[in-house]
Amino acid sequence: MSVINEHRRRQLMDLMADRGWDSILLYGNGWRKDYFRSLVNFNYSGPYAAAYLSRSGALAIFVNDLFDSESLYLEAETYPTQDFADAQWRASAIAGLELMEQRFVSGSPVSATADVEELRRIKTPEEIEFLRAAADLADRGYQCFADTVKVGIREYELVAEVEGFLKSQGAEDNFMLIASGGTEVVGMKPPTDRKLQPGDSVITELTPCVNGYYAQICRTIVLGEPSKGQLESFAIFHEAQQAAQDLIKPGIRASDAARAQNDVFRKYGYGDYTGAKYTRVRGHCLGLFPDETPHILEDVDYILKENMVVIAHPNTYLPLAGYMVFGDSMLITASGNRRLNKTERKLFVKDLA
Amino acid sequence: MKRGLIAWDREQLPPAVFDARLGRARQALAERDLPALLVYTDVWRSHQARFLTNFMPYWNRSLVVIPRDSPPVLLCALSPRVYPWIKSVTIFEEIRPASKLMATLDQLCTERGWSKLGVLDLPKLPIEIHSGLRGREIIDVPSAGIADPDDAEFAMRRKAAKLAREIALTNHVGELERSLRRAGAEDLVIRVKPRADGAYSVALALEYCGHWVKVTRAHGPADELAALQASFHDALASGGGYRENLAGPQPYEPGMGPIFALTVEHQDLFYGDTCSGASLL
Repeated sequence: MSVINEHRRRQLMDLMADRGWDSILLYGNGWRKDYFRSLVNFNYSGPYAAAYLSRSGALAIFVNDLFDSESLYLEAETYPTQDFADAQWRASAIAGLELMEQRFVSGSPVSATADVEELRRIKTPEEIEFLRAAADLADRGYQCFADTVKVGIREYELVAEVEGFLKSQGAEDNFMLIASGGTEVVGMKPPTDRKLQPGDSVITELTPCVNGYYAQICRTIVLGEPSKGQLESFAIFHEAQQAAQDLIKPGIRASDAARAQNDVFRKYGYGDYTGAKYTRVRGHCLGLFPDETPHILEDVDYILKENMVVIAHPNTYLPLAGYMVFGDSMLITASGNRRLNKTERKLFVKDLA
Repeated sequence: MKRGLIAWDREQLPPAVFDARLGRARQALAERDLPALLVYTDVWRSHQARFLTNFMPYWNRSLVVIPRDSPPVLLCALSPRVYPWIKSVTIFEEIRPASKLMATLDQLCTERGWSKLGVLDLPKLPIEIHSGLRGREIIDVPSAGIADPDDAEFAMRRKAAKLAREIALTNHVGELERSLRRAGAEDLVIRVKPRADGAYSVALALEYCGHWVKVTRAHGPADELAALQASFHDALASGGGYRENLAGPQPYEPGMGPIFALTVEHQDLFYGDTCSGASLL
């Protein structure tokens, strides 16, 4: 694996030429490493990092941590400037400008955030392999989740087991939401100390990160025999997700992929539960950030393209059985899409015996 | 994102602790004749909002607004569906949905008749938030004096440090994650630094109920480990070594403060711990 993404370097040089910029800075902080890592795929530990690329293609890397400098030198054969805070940020354009602290910015750079996000949406063959590996780990992580879940375990203990498994398998990071219970569950959040009960729906979005790239799986498991409401609800989620999966291909709009899912809910009389009061998005892109844009929503007018990786998940609240989740990561191919997850597409059931 | 246990044990951190902290913030506002204080927070830069309100955005970002004469308000980019849970683990009674943070802030300012605002550590505000404040008089309110550790902060950090020290640090990151999260860690950043001969160092940053500590241990030849420990204690006594504040897993904020992480290096092995003054915390 090459630390410097040469394809991205060429793309950025073309972008600078097109826009008339002399230089571009890709900024990262502890939360958003993705702009930096889209060119320099190094998992820095410090609070800040930046990659400064000139129009001629010369690259300078800045990090801000004792461990990072040496590791970066070993991995990229590039010795970074350690002291981020003292650097003079006089780039023509900055990707991640909006996140950058006021004290770091001098002059009047323009934002390159939207341009760089668009470049990142189309994955290279190497990036697709990373996403395949992340999806495979998501499958195995979910298997660990399903194996571990049981009556009496607390939500945070369950997450701890899955997190330990993912890290032991090489995950750098993981985005994971969870909830458990019945019709009182209206959304997901970090784990609480609630003990799981017989009959619970236990829902999770599991999103491990491999070499910087996140892939996601969403599944629901029931502790014991599913109720009529749980079965009926899951059938709607399955049909909705399948509708998106059948539709998604190059040229389809994100809004259409959302509408295909929402229309299934409307068909069964649950159209009210497709709005912001009960849900967030019908899916999103995946890559160096677990929640990349464009989001799959009925008001997002973006045409999907080959080699984008997206998840379609109609996750929402329904009065039948509370909040439920179901979704898979997909690679958009020339003629359609290919599911990256291999986990069975079913309502999981944990036998209590 | 945070995926450990986020909780508020009111016996460990009584509401009166937050009353006193907010009192310090309001005193700073009164001294500057400001009607309210704005505190930015996101998933990584969460310590100031956590210190003042116990709120931590497990994902995304938010704004905490502390009026001089009324309860704090949270402008929250997370879904209203999680607000009951947020209220259960924070001091907030009022949470406003804010997918567009600045528009929601504008509305609040208009409602309350505020033409100016204090901003906690203004130079560290993200550009997007700072730009959104244009047209409004904004005054920098340094966090020193407001967010300085109090007795409750020291006590919580001691608990966190105890949790970190009780675990034998190995290079099996998965097992560390599993055992520490099961023990109640809210978040972890674990880094293993190997040496060519198989010796290695493990740096563990651990967050317990919003309180970060850092412990670094090495595995290698006994004589080198002894030298490392001696070097650590020398550095602690002399004010030397590599020192970081513990605003988060990384030192976001300048200055050491009364609680800091001290690390020393000897032949490419590392040893460190969480300290206060010239002692271990």
